[in-house]
Amino acid sequence: MPDLDDILKTVWPNVRRRHLFPELPIPECVDGELRVGLDINRKKISISRKFVKEMSVVLKPQEILEGLLDHAVSHYIYCPWNLANHLQLYAEAKAVLDDKEMALRATDCFMDVVADTLCVSQKETPLPKIYRHLELTVLDEAVHALLQRIWGIDLGVKAYEELSSRLSRIPYGDRSSWMKGIRRFSKLIQPFLEMEKDFGNLDTPCPMGGHGLQQYSTQEIEEGLKDLALDAVSPADFEEIVHDFEDEISEAIQPASQGSDSASAGSMDTNILYYMKLAENYALPIRKVPKENSGSTYPDHHISWEVGLPYQDIDPWTSFGKFMPGITQAWKRREGQVYGKEEGVPDCMVIIDSSGSMKDLRCDLSYAVLGAACACDTYLKNDAQVAVYNFGDASAGGRQILTYTRNRREIYATLCRYFAGGTKFLVEDIDALQMNRVPDIFMISDMQITNLEILIQYFNKCKNRVTAVHIGNNEHVSTFCHTMDLRKNVVIYGVENKEDIPRIVLGKIRQDLY
Amino acid sequence: MSLTEQNGLRKAAWQIHDYIRAELVLTRPDMDVKGIPFNSGLLMSFLTGLFQGKELIIGEPGLGKTTSAEYVCALLYRFPLGVIWRSEVAGHPEQTEEKIIGRPDLGKLNQGDEVVVWSYFTLLPVKIIDEINRLPETKQSMILDGVDRGKWEYLNDAIINQEFCLFATANYHDIGTNTIIAPLIDRFDLMVESKHPGPNLAYQIGIRGSNGLTLRHKDLEDEFHQILSARLPYHVRMERVEEICARFAETLEKESGIRTLSSVERQAIRLQKEQIPFDLDSSAFLRLVLAELSFCHRFGQKRSHEMCEEGCHFTGYLCSTIQNCVSNRLPISVRSISQALAWFIGDETVGLEHLMAVLPHALAHRIQWKERALAQSDKEARDDPLAIYMAKKAVKEMHRRYMEQSSQVKDALSIACRIAEGEKAEPIRGDHPIYWEIMKDMGEVISER
Amino acid sequence: MKNPFSDFRPGNYQIKESPVQRIVEEKQDVFNHIIKGYLDLVENEIKDLAWVVEHSRVVKVYGAAVEGLRDLQYDQAYIEEFCAELDGSNSIPYMIPGPAGLYVSALVNCSQESHISLRLGDYQRPFHFLGYGLPEGKTLTLQGDGGDFIGAGLNGGRLVVQGSAGNWCGAGMMGGEIRVDRHTGRNTGEWMQGGEIRVDGQIHGIGKTLFGGCIFKQGRLIAPQEVEQVF
Repeated sequence: MPDLDDILKTVWPNVRRRHLFPELPIPECVDGELRVGLDINRKKISISRKFVKEMSVVLKPQEILEGLLDHAVSHYIYCPWNLANHLQLYAEAKAVLDDKEMALRATDCFMDVVADTLCVSQKETPLPKIYRHLELTVLDEAVHALLQRIWGIDLGVKAYEELSSRLSRIPYGDRSSWMKGIRRFSKLIQPFLEMEKDFGNLDTPCPMGGHGLQQYSTQEIEEGLKDLALDAVSPADFEEIVHDFEDEISEAIQPASQGSDSASAGSMDTNILYYMKLAENYALPIRKVPKENSGSTYPDHHISWEVGLPYQDIDPWTSFGKFMPGITQAWKRREGQVYGKEEGVPDCMVIIDSSGSMKDLRCDLSYAVLGAACACDTYLKNDAQVAVYNFGDASAGGRQILTYTRNRREIYATLCRYFAGGTKFLVEDIDALQMNRVPDIFMISDMQITNLEILIQYFNKCKNRVTAVHIGNNEHVSTFCHTMDLRKNVVIYGVENKEDIPRIVLGKIRQDLY
Repeated sequence: MSLTEQNGLRKAAWQIHDYIRAELVLTRPDMDVKGIPFNSGLLMSFLTGLFQGKELIIGEPGLGKTTSAEYVCALLYRFPLGVIWRSEVAGHPEQTEEKIIGRPDLGKLNQGDEVVVWSYFTLLPVKIIDEINRLPETKQSMILDGVDRGKWEYLNDAIINQEFCLFATANYHDIGTNTIIAPLIDRFDLMVESKHPGPNLAYQIGIRGSNGLTLRHKDLEDEFHQILSARLPYHVRMERVEEICARFAETLEKESGIRTLSSVERQAIRLQKEQIPFDLDSSAFLRLVLAELSFCHRFGQKRSHEMCEEGCHFTGYLCSTIQNCVSNRLPISVRSISQALAWFIGDETVGLEHLMAVLPHALAHRIQWKERALAQSDKEARDDPLAIYMAKKAVKEMHRRYMEQSSQVKDALSIACRIAEGEKAEPIRGDHPIYWEIMKDMGEVISER
Repeated sequence: MKNPFSDFRPGNYQIKESPVQRIVEEKQDVFNHIIKGYLDLVENEIKDLAWVVEHSRVVKVYGAAVEGLRDLQYDQAYIEEFCAELDGSNSIPYMIPGPAGLYVSALVNCSQESHISLRLGDYQRPFHFLGYGLPEGKTLTLQGDGGDFIGAGLNGGRLVVQGSAGNWCGAGMMGGEIRVDRHTGRNTGEWMQGGEIRVDGQIHGIGKTLFGGCIFKQGRLIAPQEVEQVF
């Protein structure tokens, strides 16, 4: 058999051109398995030499390589497109099948059908020839019957007319119908999946390769989790989707997500992961501490002199000694700036209310946690440190304090603590957290705080820039807003839904304090 | 022109490019087009110089922004370095119209006559503005027309350059810099970064000393000065300048073995380049890009002062992350430089790979991103400055969308063609802005908002 | 004005059709017609989306449904998909179990196939009135639990429920056979005029007024000869 690497070098550019130049690394041939044609790891396509050799009894090696590459590239281009889609498809399949292994296999089959059908219908590809010569299990045969019908190409399958007729009605080419489609698909092939499970065949990967999370790069996994968090209705919804892949996700997530001081990855609480990823979808603007102006002016640039302008600023050198409109130039002055206080972002103390009147972050989306998380991310991105004071009934021990740190995971772990119960904070805790600095304060609460007046007194005296966010409206909120109205270092925002969060501007004050 | 002659010109162009890369501007490759590795800064500068483009080069101080432009201009236009240095405009607040464009002849002025002494900057076809963002904004406005069309006016006189290319360099923003005004920045075809070459090449640069000596010629520089400062009509001066350029070219060929290009040959190359067509995929893809950068479902088109923040269905497309509407100069720039790249590589049509190489550099300075998009990408790991990185990311995303639905897009355009020619057919509907824009072209009013 | 799409003239570019597209497009027209029929039915017949079970209304709604499906060619797969669409999608904004069940019954009765099977276990919401007016020569198998009024007005057909049925099972049936593998609810066989109801599990209540027909529980005839309330 001719050298596969050489054939691959000639085949790959053609496949790339056919699929309009996808950004994928150059594939390679590896020893691999006999039954499985290819593998995709972090977008790198690996083709099994054993598989190609076995199949080259009936097909030319060029056709086999081209077909396998078409299959792999189609997955990248069409389906699943990204991790979020992949996991959502899996979740839909699992909702119908209620079994992880079966759902995984159903998802793999569905994605193969979608990707290969779009490829076959739009490009000239030898992929059907490979399908015609694969070794088939009962499930594979059923799926092949479907492919035979919708491709209009004979794949040698004689049975499953009725099943393939039903399966063919699913609009595989319509991305917006995939979620509905996979439910129907899973339901129709469920008997076959159960049969395969009984025979112990579900562990064996498909001949065209399985579709685990390893095929995505770390960045794609991070992006996918962000999208999933945004689409999920609640933390429970997110957990349901992600739960079965916790180990793979924890392995893949960069250490940066877990904080700069993290020693080892370990598995991450899905709640924390949810809020972490959801917060990454929002970017809050922040006002930096301004520089000083020197107060003195200096000549900066020339302007044309006109009759009527003062003559003291005329530059005789650039005017060629002439006093004429159009020739004579005058200096325009500008105020200088000096480096007074260095421009930057101070550290931040986050005060978050997690008493009983606030939503339980595990059951529903908590705007308080989300808002606080977005604020923390903004300060961290600007190289500031964040301290967290999470309170319920602090006098009864319902509080958690995290001192200034840049460890994102620790910050989120503290934010995601829910105390329920009463609402009372201890001002000495907040004083202690000030620690001889003047950090910004970010506070988020529904203001139903037992000792709200103490808080108001504290804010009346402090010099920090305070961003206060209230969840919903009630009489306590009105009291707070009314008393803080004259304070120029306190800015108040209200949040009633997710869309209000990007409107928060951190550190915005009505008058410079510095 | 015969194929052999065409290939000969291409070969000469390659020789110049390779000479600069090997001997003058040491850089690392950071992109590849059809498997050929290039340094993006050098490649785009070369194409800008040869095909009369305008390029903005950014980078840290001392990384070869100005030097690379000087070398490219010297070899492409056959000017000794000394002449180019004299023609450069330095960006600083004390620049005046008289220093940049021209001044009155003082002797004649005293006699009551208005005669303009044009600067080298306006006369020569190579124009380099160093640190353009140190020019105050009023001075930037002054050079708009000249930069755009090569038309320079002073007092009651004007000259129009027959051919010219423009390079402007800019450092990153600091206390002494101004913003480059929007009309000026839109006139640049490309923006590139002059990157650090890495420690090994930087060491080579350090130990080799000055390497531009081959491009100096004292005697010829003096002759250039005499001609350029002579009080002769513009076209006469340029003819004589071309003669001196030819002599400089002979010297170069004798001493360094490089064959440079005459003005007639450069014109021929430009004509060849103009003939290169776009293939169907690149035509469809560019339309898709323009749709995403101009479409706004809520307000009809993008406008910088109108924010469409909430409730928009099109959040998956670029129109939701940018603030402004891209100008018509973008497709002009993209077309010109893509054709230039295709000509340079020897391809008969402009394809997706050419577009993908050129688009990020044509877009980087023209897009105003929303703050949210900037904040999200600011801290991501990257190899380029933020503006170019975000443009590359945007192009990749649009390319991915195009790969997925290329058939539908082309079908939609094909049906639109038939409708435009009078056939009764239903335009294809879809989610992407390109389908909506096609319907608008077909005269359909968008009623659901 | 120059045609801005001239690059894509038919000579330069050919639109390629695929079997997938054809299958989906063919199906989509029929399916859209079915959905439109249901939406029109709800709009015209169910005022203010308030559904009250009255004999005259039931007859009217069923009649309107049958009228809307006249001359339409479809098979069982379309019925299944329509049920799935009713159950959980955005394209049908309101699913009212009574009219929905009557519409599905109309679909079943008007289809060409003599044997239709519906997997009720796939759906989260109950369908009432399934098997309404099922004519002779047709068999309808319901896999899973049915809602109320299953087999109401049965007209000679055979209805098999592989699960439980709700209240008013077989109400007003005129002939044919209903077989329920598990239980039925209250008022089973109310106003039935003929035919048989066979229940293999428990019957929570027999209808007070039986004009004809028989009800069997676990193979034993319990109505009209023995009227028993079994809890």
